[in-house]
Amino acid sequence: MSGSSSTGKGHPVKGGRTQAMEFSRTRYTARAQRRNKAATFGFYTLGFLVMLLIFWMLFTILAKGLPALSFDFLIKQPEEIDPGGGIGPVLFNSFYILFISLLISVPIGIGAGIYMAEYAPDNAFTGALRICVESLSSVPSIVFGLLGLAIFAEYFDVGLTILGGGVSLALLNLPMLARVTEEAVRAVPGEIREAGYALGMTKFHVIRKVVLPVALSAIITGVCLVAGRAFGESAVIILTAGLSTSGEMWDFNLFSPGETLAVHLWYVQSEAIVEDARQIADKSAAVLVFVVLLINLAFRLPLWFGKRRQGH
Amino acid sequence: MKIFRKFTVTALTAVIAVSTAFAGIASAADTLKGKITINGSTALLPLTLQAAKEFQKLHPKVKIAASGKGSVTGPQAVKKGIADIGAVDWDASTDVPGFKAFEGQVANKVAVIPFATIVNKNVGVDNLTTEQLKGIFSGKIKNWKEVGGADADIVVITRAFGSGTRVNYQAKALDGGDIVKKEKNYKETGSSGDMKTAVATTPNAIGYIDLVYVSGDVKAVKFNGVEATTNNVINGSYKIWAYGYYMTKGQPEGITKEFIKYVQSSKFQQGSLKKLKFIPISAMK
Amino acid sequence: MGSPVHNLTSRAKGNAVAVSASPKRHSRHLLSNTLFRYYFLFSILALCLVLGLVILFIGKTALLLFGQISPLDFFFSFNWTPEEEAFGAAAFIVNTLSLTALTLLIAVPVSVGMAVLCAEIAPKWMKNFIRPVLDLLVGIPSIVYGYLGLTVLLPFLRRASGEGLGDGLLAAALVLALMVLPTICRISDDAIVSVPRKYRDAAYALGSTRLQVIFRVVLPAAKRGIISAVILGMTRAVGETMAVVMVIGNTPQLAKTLFTPSSVLTSNIVMQISNVEFDSTWNYALHMMAFLLLLISFMLILVIRILGRKRREV
Repeated sequence: MSGSSSTGKGHPVKGGRTQAMEFSRTRYTARAQRRNKAATFGFYTLGFLVMLLIFWMLFTILAKGLPALSFDFLIKQPEEIDPGGGIGPVLFNSFYILFISLLISVPIGIGAGIYMAEYAPDNAFTGALRICVESLSSVPSIVFGLLGLAIFAEYFDVGLTILGGGVSLALLNLPMLARVTEEAVRAVPGEIREAGYALGMTKFHVIRKVVLPVALSAIITGVCLVAGRAFGESAVIILTAGLSTSGEMWDFNLFSPGETLAVHLWYVQSEAIVEDARQIADKSAAVLVFVVLLINLAFRLPLWFGKRRQGH
Repeated sequence: MKIFRKFTVTALTAVIAVSTAFAGIASAADTLKGKITINGSTALLPLTLQAAKEFQKLHPKVKIAASGKGSVTGPQAVKKGIADIGAVDWDASTDVPGFKAFEGQVANKVAVIPFATIVNKNVGVDNLTTEQLKGIFSGKIKNWKEVGGADADIVVITRAFGSGTRVNYQAKALDGGDIVKKEKNYKETGSSGDMKTAVATTPNAIGYIDLVYVSGDVKAVKFNGVEATTNNVINGSYKIWAYGYYMTKGQPEGITKEFIKYVQSSKFQQGSLKKLKFIPISAMK
Repeated sequence: MGSPVHNLTSRAKGNAVAVSASPKRHSRHLLSNTLFRYYFLFSILALCLVLGLVILFIGKTALLLFGQISPLDFFFSFNWTPEEEAFGAAAFIVNTLSLTALTLLIAVPVSVGMAVLCAEIAPKWMKNFIRPVLDLLVGIPSIVYGYLGLTVLLPFLRRASGEGLGDGLLAAALVLALMVLPTICRISDDAIVSVPRKYRDAAYALGSTRLQVIFRVVLPAAKRGIISAVILGMTRAVGETMAVVMVIGNTPQLAKTLFTPSSVLTSNIVMQISNVEFDSTWNYALHMMAFLLLLISFMLILVIRILGRKRREV
C-alpha cells in the first residue's frame, strides 16, 4: 500500500487515465494516493458485501421454490382443498394487469415528465407541483386501492375487475414515472439542445431526436423500476381486482375478477388452508422474481442492441 | 410512435375478439346468469373460493368475484352496495363489542369455525384456563412460570382490533376480557398466516388462530382441560368456536340466493367444507 | 459516455439539413411540434388530475375528523385507543420520522457508495452484472421482504439483542433500507453517469486522484440527481407498508428504544383501515393520517431540497 510504488512513473491507471504525478510528488499527493487506494478497496468491499447479501437473499427465495417448479405449476388452476394447485390464471392476470397499467401510465407519465422538464415555466407553482408529485409516492398503496375502489366499485359500479386493477396501478405508478422521466430529461446537457435549435429544429423535434435518445436509458430504468413494483404490488389489486379469478386460463375480458401472482402469494402466505400452501408460496415467490428478471431483460435488450448498432 | 399505435389497435382488437369468443362457449341451457361479488373476512375466503369454483362449474354463466380484507369489510360492502355477499365471522346483524349492528342485513350461517390458542413449541405449558388466558392477554401474567411453565417472559401476539378472529376469541376464550397492549413483548399481526409464522418463530410466544391453520410448527394448548378438536366442538365441550356468516341486504334473492343455498347444501357442507376442515352447520344442531 | 453527445449532435445536424431541404417535411415538423405540445400539456393535466383526486379523496374524509375531535388532541396526544375514543397520532408521527431518518442513515451511504462503484470504479463486466441484479431487487414483492424479515432477521436480532420479540424500529429500518437500496442506487447511478466526461478529464488533468474526482467533482455535479434519488427512496420508505407491518410490532406507542414494538403512520393505516366502519371517527382519523403522510413527505422533500440548494451555493 505504499504510495511510492504507484507514483513516479505516471503509468496509466484503469480506464487509460494518466495521472500527472511526476512534477508534483509531494507528501500531499502521496497521502491522496493512499486514500484513493483505501477508498477503492472500501468501495469494492461495500459492493462485495451488498452483492453477497442480495445473493444470499435471492438464493433463499429461489432455492426453496425453483427446484420444485414445474411447467404444470405455471398453467394449472389454483386449488383450495387438494395439494398440487397451480398459478395459471393468476400468472396470466399479472401480465395482463401490468400491461394495462403500463399502457396507461407510460405514455402519460413520460409526457408529464417531459412537460415538467422542457415546457413548464420555472416558477414556484412548478416547484410545488414537483414536490406534490414526489409526496404522492409516499401515500401507502392501500390508499390508492381505496381510491380505485371508490371510483370503480362505487362510482362506475363494475365490481372487482381487471380494468379497475390496471387503472388503479397506473395511478399509483404515474407520479414515479413522471419524476424519473423529468430527471432523466433534465440531466441531458443544455448545449446539445442548443445545437439542435441553432439548426432550426422545432422544439419537439429536438426532444425526439436529441433529448430522448440520450435520456432513454434512464427512462427505461424508471419504467423497469415501476413495472417491477407494479408486478409485486398486492394491496391495490386486492381492493380493486379481487382475490379470485374467473377460473379460465386465457380470460381477456376486462371485467373479470383479476387476482394477480403477488396477491395470490399474499393469500397463500396469509390465509390459504391447502396443505402445500408454504410450497406454493415459495414457488410463487421464485416465479415472481424470475418474471421481474425477464421484464428487465425485455426492456433492456433492445437498448443494448441499439447501443451496439450505434457503435458503442 | 406509429408502431406503438398499431400495436395498441391490434391488441385491443384481439382482446375484444377473444372475450366475445369465450362468452359464446358457455352452455345455453343454463338459466342462471349474472355476477356475484363477495367481500369480507379472509378467514372464510378459502371456503368462498372453493364454493365459487364449484358453483361456476355448475352454472357457467355466473361470474363470481371474491375478495377479502377484514371481517367488517363484508357487511360494510353490502351496506354500500358494492358487494352482494359480505363474509364475516360474527353475526353482524346484532351488536358485538366494538361494532354496531348493520340494520336491514340478514345473516346466513354457512360454517362453524373453531379457534385454538397456540404457543411456540418451546413452551412447556399444555393447558390454560379462562382465568390464566385473561391474565396473560391483559398483561397481568407476564412470565410463563406463573402458569406452570419455565421462567421466561411471555410474548403476546394478537390480531389487530376489528379482526373477526379477535372478536370471537375475546368473547369465547377470554370471556369478554380485554387484550391490553404492553410496552414490550407484545405484537399485533395482520393475518392468520402472519400470526402463525410469528408464533412459530418467536420463542415463548402465545397467540390464537383458526383451528384449520394449526399444524406441526406451532402447538395448540388445551382450553380448560379440553383439547381443541373438531369432535370436542361438536360434542359441546370445547367452547372457542363461532359461526361464519354470509351477510346479505334483506333476504337473498336470485343468483345470490342460489349460491348461498349451494354453500348450505349438504353436498357442499359434507363434502368440500369438511375437507377444508370447517365444521358443517348441521353438526351443531 | 461523452461520445453519444457528439454522435447525437452530428445526427441532429443531419436532420436539420434534411429539414431545410424539404418544406413539406418542415411543415409536418411544425404540426407535430404543436400536437405534441398539447399532448405533453394533456399528460401533465392528467397527472394533476390524479394528484387532485388523491388529495380530494383523502382530504374529504380526513377533514371530517376535526368536526369530531380537536386537532390538538390528534397531533399532540400520544394516546391512540380508538376503542375508547382516544385518537392521538403523535406517537405515529414521531415514529414515522425516526424510522425514515434511521432508514436513510443506513441506506443512503450504502446506496450512493454502490452507485459510485457502478458508475466510476467497477470494470464494465461488473457494472453489467451489478445493475440488473439491483433492478431485480425492486421487483421482489414487499411481502417477501417482510417474510424474510420475520423468519430470518427477527430471530437474528433477538439473539443479538437478547430481546424477547425483536420487533421494532431497527428491524423495520433494516428491511426498508434493503428495499430502497436499488431505487436510490440505480437513479443515483444514472445521475453520476450523465455527468459530462470532460469534468472528470479536467480534474484528472490537474492531477486529482480518483477519490478526489469522485468526491469533489462527480458527486457535486450529480447532486441534483442524487438528491431526487434519495427523495424517491425516502418516499418509498415512508409509504411502504406490507413489509413494515410484519416486523415493527404494530403497537401504538412511542418507540423509546430500537426494539420497542411500535407502529408508524402507514403500518397503522394498513392494519386498521379494513377493520373500521366507513362513517366512524376512527376511519376519518386514519384518512387524516394518510393526509398527514402526504404533508410530512412534502415537508421532508422541501427540507432536503433547501439543504441541497444551500450547499450548492456555498
